[in-house]
Amino acid sequence: MSVPGLLVNQVSSPPRPALPVVESLAAVFPDGLVCGRSVLCSGSAAVTLALATVSAASRAGSWLAVFGLSDLGLLAAHEQGVALQRTVFVTPPASPTQWSAAVGAAVDGFELLLLELAPRLSAGEARKVQQRVLSRRTVLVLVDIVGEHERHPVFQPDVVMHGTTTGWSGIGHGHGHVRGRELCIDIHGRRVPKPRRVSLTMSH
Amino acid sequence: MSVRQVTRVAAIVFPDWPAVAVQQELAARGKRHDVVAVLRAQRVAACSPAAHVAGVRRGMRRREAQAACADLIIVADNPERDRLAFEPVVRAVGELVPLVEVGVPGTVVLPTRGPARYVGGDEALAARLRAIVTKASEEPVPHFGVGIADGRLMATVAALSAVSGVGHVVATGESPAHLAQQPVAVLSGSIDTASGAVDNVVSLLQRLGVYTLGDLVAIDEPLVAARFGMLGAEMHRLARGLDRHPPLVVAPPPDHVTTQHFEQAVEDLHVVVACGREMAAGLCVHLATHAVSCVSLHVSLQSEHGEQSDRVWYEPDGLGTAAITERVRWQMEGWVKSRVLTSGVVSIRLAPVGLRALGGRQMGLWGEPGTRDEMAAKAAQRMASLLGAEAVRVAEWRGGRDPAEAFVRTCVTLVDLAGRTVTPGRPFEGALPSPAPALVYQEPLGVEVLDDGGRSVVVSGRHEMSGEPRYVVINGAKLIVASWAGPWPVEERWWDPQRHRRAVRMHVVVGEEPPVALVLTLEQGSWCATARYA
Repeated sequence: MSVPGLLVNQVSSPPRPALPVVESLAAVFPDGLVCGRSVLCSGSAAVTLALATVSAASRAGSWLAVFGLSDLGLLAAHEQGVALQRTVFVTPPASPTQWSAAVGAAVDGFELLLLELAPRLSAGEARKVQQRVLSRRTVLVLVDIVGEHERHPVFQPDVVMHGTTTGWSGIGHGHGHVRGRELCIDIHGRRVPKPRRVSLTMSH
Repeated sequence: MSVRQVTRVAAIVFPDWPAVAVQQELAARGKRHDVVAVLRAQRVAACSPAAHVAGVRRGMRRREAQAACADLIIVADNPERDRLAFEPVVRAVGELVPLVEVGVPGTVVLPTRGPARYVGGDEALAARLRAIVTKASEEPVPHFGVGIADGRLMATVAALSAVSGVGHVVATGESPAHLAQQPVAVLSGSIDTASGAVDNVVSLLQRLGVYTLGDLVAIDEPLVAARFGMLGAEMHRLARGLDRHPPLVVAPPPDHVTTQHFEQAVEDLHVVVACGREMAAGLCVHLATHAVSCVSLHVSLQSEHGEQSDRVWYEPDGLGTAAITERVRWQMEGWVKSRVLTSGVVSIRLAPVGLRALGGRQMGLWGEPGTRDEMAAKAAQRMASLLGAEAVRVAEWRGGRDPAEAFVRTCVTLVDLAGRTVTPGRPFEGALPSPAPALVYQEPLGVEVLDDGGRSVVVSGRHEMSGEPRYVVINGAKLIVASWAGPWPVEERWWDPQRHRRAVRMHVVVGEEPPVALVLTLEQGSWCATARYA
């Protein structure tokens, strides 16, 4: 009755503010994209996963800043549902001080931040960015195309999605075209109590 | 009325200045083109007289303009080029009148009170200005007009109507009567908003049966303001022959003139500009605390040898820190280019001459942030000022058969972020089928495509492949092709021998762990990977 600890355990904490996610990723983000968290997308389907992660929130009115990813296919982003009228693309500068200042400005003004993991980034800078993301309640989505995170894990992501393509559909020997793919997503990270594996089919 | 509402001004207007600037740039490279058009936001913003004769009109799309005139040279808009080309004209006028006011390149406005007395009347002044500008312009002299009237709008309209004649002078006090006969469409040129809101209002007014400015004035201002907001109120003021913003009745805040003296003459342009930025920031904060913003600013620079450069910059929406910095840089660059400057700069002076009540949003007491759109726009501007305008970009639909062509990335400083739409048109005939690849290489990766016998796969003119693709060699690694589809021909601009493009594309899935889907393109005999489904 009067044991405070017990009371605390019974009272559920208020829901954290979160941005919407697409239905296909609802299994990965049961509470939506919780503001202030960072998500890392890696593996051979990293870019598609990152676009899928931000698309619903972007469509719902959030602004998205994309750092790096100069090869990003804008048509693919549009097809996945990213609202390009609310998306700004930034070429990251080479100097670390300018990089920090620019990322800081983006965190202040944008609710979604898509960041390509760049080599030569120090753990200190990464920590500063993550702290700022946490205090400004931005959602940080890190994209790792070349496996940088495995070699130098400078960021401490809350959720890691390692997406591996297991097969392509719609294409045969000289006929059809690439229509869809099967994905296998390994999910782990600080905020994932039980690492798990999800299979997903993406098609058009 | 105790406050004088409008000043008598002269306007010199080049109706299609961007096209003139392009022609001059081409002429400097030894080329001469009569039919040129300048494209802004996918629409023709200006065209040369010859192009106009051929049927090219402002507001046309690229294709329409090309259809009207087949050998039309279309050039993208470049405000920097317009401004640099306009500098000699401004300088020439500045020799007669010390303080000229520069808004957009292609228009010079100057108060006539002193100069008209000096040369002997408005008519003489108009003729004199015409002679000066003709002398300063490069051959062939572009079309321009000189107009003198009460208020900026009437002077501009008069100048436009005088493009072919000598000069058009509207007598004192007759401006409202003249303006009343003008169509409402003249307003869309005089209020320049990036979102095209003015055009919408003008079009709606026309549909409502309000055709001339006289019709608009006949409606009470509060009614217009109630229907069209701030913009409507401004248009009504302009139609009455007043300036866009009511002149400030309150006295300007004290110490609103900032001056910076250098002990040692500064010869580096960047240092002067950086200093100008700091002064501008201080000035803007100072003005904002008095709830006013600066509409026209007198920038004066002084050199060690006593040369002086004075100019008034006009921006009806108010000059912010970035805008003031930009103006200081322009003035400085123009001064350096004019070759009258022989020594370093010893002082900069910024004096706001025109102020208006700050129409900005009142922030919350506890520093409540603005809306999401405002915050994002602010952050984007900040990043652009940190990294340079080139580094921060937004997507715009262009359309094309290649995934790389569908959207272009435009500098964020050239667009109005709020209320922007990016609407893709219908997919092009012959575009790759959906889904689109997530990675489109800016620099395609050279690959080799081999058949069973290790021979390179080629595609004939009739799109027949020499053999089934079995291996793809990327960066020296030989990968087995698991499945493939294609080849799909791309044939673009077959009518144009120079820009003609012929290629074939195919989809391949290579490798096992994990299988990777690529778009391969064969162009001019060599294969490359142009995109990856990542």
